[in-house]
Amino acid sequence: MAELEIKNLTLRFGGLTVLEDVSFAVEPGELFALIGPNGAGKTSLLNCISGIYRGTGQIRLRGEDIAARPPHEIARLGIARTFQHGELFPQMTVIENLLTGRHARVRTHPIAEMLFLPSVRREEVRHREAVEYIIDFVELERYRHVPVGGLPFGIQKIVGFARALALDPTLLLLDEPSAGLNRDEREDLARFILRIKHELKTAMIWIEHDMQMVADLADRIHVLDYGRTLAEGAPGEVLNNPEVIAAYLGRSSNNPSDDGARSISQH
Amino acid sequence: MSRRMPWASGYFRTGYAQDFKLIETRLERVSAGLFAVALSVFPFVASPFQLDLACQVFLAAIGSLSLMLLTGYAGQISLGHAGLLAAGAFTAGILFKEFGAPFWVTLPAAAAVGALLGIVFGLPSLRLRGLYLAVSTLALHFVVVYLGGEYETKRGYSTGIVIDPPSIGGYAVINPRIWYFVLLAAAAATLFICLNLIRSRTGRAWRAIRSHETVAEALGIGIASYKLLAFVVSSAITAVAGALFAYYRGFVSVEAFSLFLTIQYVAMVIIGGMGSLLGALLGAMFVTLFPYWIEAALAALPGAARYASVLFAVNYAAFGLVMILFLVFEPLGLVGIWHRIQTFFLLWPFKHRQVTGTNR
Repeated sequence: MAELEIKNLTLRFGGLTVLEDVSFAVEPGELFALIGPNGAGKTSLLNCISGIYRGTGQIRLRGEDIAARPPHEIARLGIARTFQHGELFPQMTVIENLLTGRHARVRTHPIAEMLFLPSVRREEVRHREAVEYIIDFVELERYRHVPVGGLPFGIQKIVGFARALALDPTLLLLDEPSAGLNRDEREDLARFILRIKHELKTAMIWIEHDMQMVADLADRIHVLDYGRTLAEGAPGEVLNNPEVIAAYLGRSSNNPSDDGARSISQH
Repeated sequence: MSRRMPWASGYFRTGYAQDFKLIETRLERVSAGLFAVALSVFPFVASPFQLDLACQVFLAAIGSLSLMLLTGYAGQISLGHAGLLAAGAFTAGILFKEFGAPFWVTLPAAAAVGALLGIVFGLPSLRLRGLYLAVSTLALHFVVVYLGGEYETKRGYSTGIVIDPPSIGGYAVINPRIWYFVLLAAAAATLFICLNLIRSRTGRAWRAIRSHETVAEALGIGIASYKLLAFVVSSAITAVAGALFAYYRGFVSVEAFSLFLTIQYVAMVIIGGMGSLLGALLGAMFVTLFPYWIEAALAALPGAARYASVLFAVNYAAFGLVMILFLVFEPLGLVGIWHRIQTFFLLWPFKHRQVTGTNR
C-alpha cells in the first residue's frame, strides 16, 4: 500500500486555482521530490497534506482518508514537516524545540505535570533520550542548550529538520530544506536525507530548487507548473523532458548558455 | 563512572534525569537554603506594617504567576484578571455567608468556579487574537463584577461581605505571622505548579502556540484545547488567589476589584519580564511596593504635608511613567536587568560575551 496517495486534489482561493487535479502516490521509504517554478503550488500542496489548507479530492495516508482531519491529528498520524523559513520557537533551546516537535508522542497528563510526578519524570527522561538520538543524528551536540533565536541560519534550518524528525514520522514533508544553506551545509543536509532514507526508512516529499541535489538523491520527481502536473518519473527522464525545461526557462527560451538551462540539461 | 573526579572542573551531568533538577550545584543549594532561612526569619524581625506588605506581595505573586502562564507563556492577552479575582473572592464570601462553609470547601469551590470561568473567558480566544481578545475578556470582567455587586445589594451587604478568618484544626488564623506562612506556602505551591507545567509537555505546547500558532498545530499540538487549558489553569489559580485575598482582608467588596487592579497585574507581568516566572515574582514585588516607595519619597521631601493631598495622583502618574519607561528601555523587564547583573559578575573583569543565545 502506498504511504501517501493523493487523488484529484484541487485547491482554489476565490477565483485563483492554486492546485488543479493533482494526483500522485508516494511509496513507503521513497524519496519523492517535488519541483516546479516559483508559484507552482508546491508549498500549497504540502499545506494541503498537513491539513493547513483544505482542498477537494482525496489524501490517503496508508489507505486512510485524512483530507478532512485537523493539522494536529494529521501530525499525530505520523506526518511531520519542515517550513521554508524554519519557523522555529526562538526563545526555546534546541532541546526544547525538539521536545516540542515530539509533543504528539509524549503521554503525560497536565495534572500529573503540575506535580511533576515520577511518571512524568520517567516520560520526560525517555523523550529526552529519544531527542538526544536525533541531536546526535543531525550533529547538533554543540548547540543542545542554546536558544534557537541566536543560532546561525544554516543551523536553524537543521534544527527545523530535526524538530520534524523528533515526531518519529513515517512521512516527512521537507519544504526547501536547502534554501539559504551554503555548500558545506547542503552536503550535510544531503547526507542526513540519505541517512533518513536508508536507516530510518522514512518516506519523504521533498520540495527542492537545487536540481543537482534532486538529480543525485531523489527516487522519483513530480513536476508542478501553475498548479498542474507537468511530469512525473525518474530523475533522468523528467529533467530531460523538454516541457519541464520550458517551464523552468520560459517557452521561447533560446539561450542555451543560461545557468538554469545547464543545470537541468546536464542530466 | 559517575564518581566525581578530583581534577574535573565545573559541573557535569551524567544522566538525562539531571536535566530536570531544579537545584543543581552546591552554590544553588546554599543560596536557596539561605533564601529559605531569610524568608522564615523575616516575620520575627519585621514590623506589622512590613509583615502586611510581605503578605500582599505573596498574594500578588500568586495572581501574577497565573497571569504569566496565560500571557507570558501561552501568549493570550487577558484583561479579565480582576474579574477572576473577584469571582474567587465572591465564591468564598457567598459560600461562607449563605452556607457557613469552611475554607477547605470555599477554596476548592473558588478554584472550580475559576476553572469554569476560564472556559468562558477562553472560548473567545479560539476565534479572537490580541486586542480583540483583550476586549472580550474585559467584557467578562464587567459581567463578573456586576454580578458581585448585584449580590451585595440584593442581600443587603451593600458595604461588603464580612468573612470570618479561616480555622485550621479549630484554630483561627488571625495572627499576622501565621498568615505570612500560609500565604508564603500558597505562593510557593503556585510557583512549584507553574514551574512544573512550564518544563513539561503543556508548557512547551503553550510556548509553541505563543510563537507560531500554525506551526504548533502542524507539529501535533491541539491549539484549541491548549488555549482553553491555559485559561482554565490560570483562572483557577487566580480565583484561589481571590479567595485567599478575601480571607486575608476578612472582607469582600466589588470596590476592591476595579479595572485598575487588572492593569496592575498586567503591569507586574510586563515590568517583571514576559515569559519568565522569576519575572512574575519580581513584578509582583515591584508593583505592590511601588506606591509605598513613592509615598516614602514624598514624605522625605521638604514640606511633605502639602503633598499629602495629591499623593494618589502622584502615585498613578509615577506608576504610568514607570510602565512606559520599562516598555521603552527594558522590554525584558526586571528579569532582563537581573540577567545583565548576573552576566556582569560572571564575566568580570571582561565586558562582552559571544552572542550565542539572545533571548528575544
